[in-house]
Amino acid sequence: MARILVIFASLNQVALLKRSLYRMGVYVEMQRTPHCLSATGCGFALRCEPSELTLLRMKCKELRIEPGGFFEETGQAEERHYRSLGSLEIDR
Amino acid sequence: MIYLDNAATSWPKPPGVARAVSRALTHAVGNPGRTNHRLTMDAALLVQECRENLAQLFGIANPLRICFTANATEALNLAIKGIVSPGDHVICSSMEHNSVWRPLTALQKSGVAFSIAQANPAGVVDPASVERLIQPNTKLIVMLHASNVSGAIQPVAALGRLARDRGILMLLDAAQSAGSIPIDVQAMNIDLLAFPGHKGLLGPQGTGGLYVSEKVDLRPLKEGGTGSESNSPQQPSCYPDRLESGTLNLPGIAGLNQSVLCVLRRSVEAVARHEARITQRLLSGLARIDGVTVYGPALGVPRAPVVSFNIRAMDPVYVAAELERCADIACRPGWHCAGLAHRTLGTAETGTLRLSPGPFTRIAEISKALAAVAALARGDYKS
Repeated sequence: MARILVIFASLNQVALLKRSLYRMGVYVEMQRTPHCLSATGCGFALRCEPSELTLLRMKCKELRIEPGGFFEETGQAEERHYRSLGSLEIDR
Repeated sequence: MIYLDNAATSWPKPPGVARAVSRALTHAVGNPGRTNHRLTMDAALLVQECRENLAQLFGIANPLRICFTANATEALNLAIKGIVSPGDHVICSSMEHNSVWRPLTALQKSGVAFSIAQANPAGVVDPASVERLIQPNTKLIVMLHASNVSGAIQPVAALGRLARDRGILMLLDAAQSAGSIPIDVQAMNIDLLAFPGHKGLLGPQGTGGLYVSEKVDLRPLKEGGTGSESNSPQQPSCYPDRLESGTLNLPGIAGLNQSVLCVLRRSVEAVARHEARITQRLLSGLARIDGVTVYGPALGVPRAPVVSFNIRAMDPVYVAAELERCADIACRPGWHCAGLAHRTLGTAETGTLRLSPGPFTRIAEISKALAAVAALARGDYKS
C-alpha cells in the first residue's frame, strides 16, 4: 500500500509539523530521509497516509516550511520505491 | 535564607523544573537531529515544545525563529555580531549591561561605530534622544528592557516604532524582563529578542535564547554540526539550524520548558503584579530608613523588581556581607557588570547594593530585609 513521504532539511521543521498535526488529532511518523532522497545529507521526513497529503501541504504553507519534496512510497523494507509528487513553494 | 538576588539568577525554581532536568539525564534522552531512534525523536519534540512555549510567551508567530543559547550574553553577541558590519552604526543606551557595551566596544576596532543615548538620572531613555543619534548608516538600536541596576524600564514600544519607521533593526535585551514584564515582539516591533532562561523564566542556568524575525538573516557566531544538510560545507540557511551548531543543552532545555509552562500558567501579568507590590513595599520601607539613598525611578513609578541603594558611605560589599551574616539575606553588591549604568546613576565610584525580589518572594521576607537594613544603618550590627 502506498504511503506519502515528505522530506525536509531539518528535524526542527519536522518536529514543528508533527506537533502541529498531533494537536489536530493527526499522527504522522518522523524518520530520517532515506539515503536515495537525501541530496544534501542528513535530512528528516514525515510519513503519512495519502489521505493526509492535502492537510500536510496546507500545514507546510501555514507554518511557512518549504519541504524538500513530496514522494509516494511503495514497497517494503529495502525494496521501497519513491515517485516524486512535486514540491511546494512558500512565498516569503 | 531570604533570597533577594533574583536579578543574578532566580531561586527557588518552580516545582517540576529539577524533576524535568533529572528526567532528561536519567532517561537517556537522545541527541536531536543526529540519528533516527525514538530517544532522538522524543528529544526533538521536547526541544520543539520548549520553542513553542517561548513563542507563546513572547507573541512570536514562528517558533523556528527562536534559537537556544547558553544565556542572554551569548544571544546578544550572536545578534550584534551577526548583523553589523564595518561601516555600520549602532545606538544603545547609557544603561546597558556589559554584554552590550563590551561587544560594541570590541567591534569599534573593525570599523563599527556606536552612539550612546544618555538616560535620565533614574535610568530612563527618552526616544527623542535616540532619534537625534540616528545616522544614515544606523543599522541597529540595541536597548535593555529593564535595568539590572536601577530597575528602570525603557519605553520599548516607542523605541520599536521609531526603529520601524526609520528602517532600523531593534534588538531588545530582555535579561531582566523576560518572565517579569509582558513582552510581545509583534506589538513592540522587536526584530531581535535576547533572553536568559535562568532569571525571570525560572529555568536552569546555562539556558537562554534569541528570537530572530523573518526579515533578519544573521551571520552565525559558530559553524558546525546541525544534523541537517550534512554533506554541505556551508552552514544551513534554515532556522534555527543556521544558528544552533553543536549539541544542545537538552537537560537545561527540559528544565526551561517546565519553568516556562509554570510562567505561562501563572501569567506574566500576574507575576508582574506580585513583583510590583513587593518592590514598592521594599522601596517605601527603604525610603523611611535614615542614611539610605535609593537609585532609579521614584517610589510609585513602575520598575523591574530591582532596587539599588547605598547606606551613607558604607562599602556595599561590607553591607552585603553583614546582611548575610546577621540576617541570612542573599543579595549583590558592586557594579553588577554594568559600568556604563553606574556612570549614569552617579555610582561609578562606589557601586551599589542590589536587592532583587522574585516571583516567590513574600512580604514577610521584605519586612525582615528592611529591618536588617535599618539595623545596619543604625549601627546595631557589630562584627
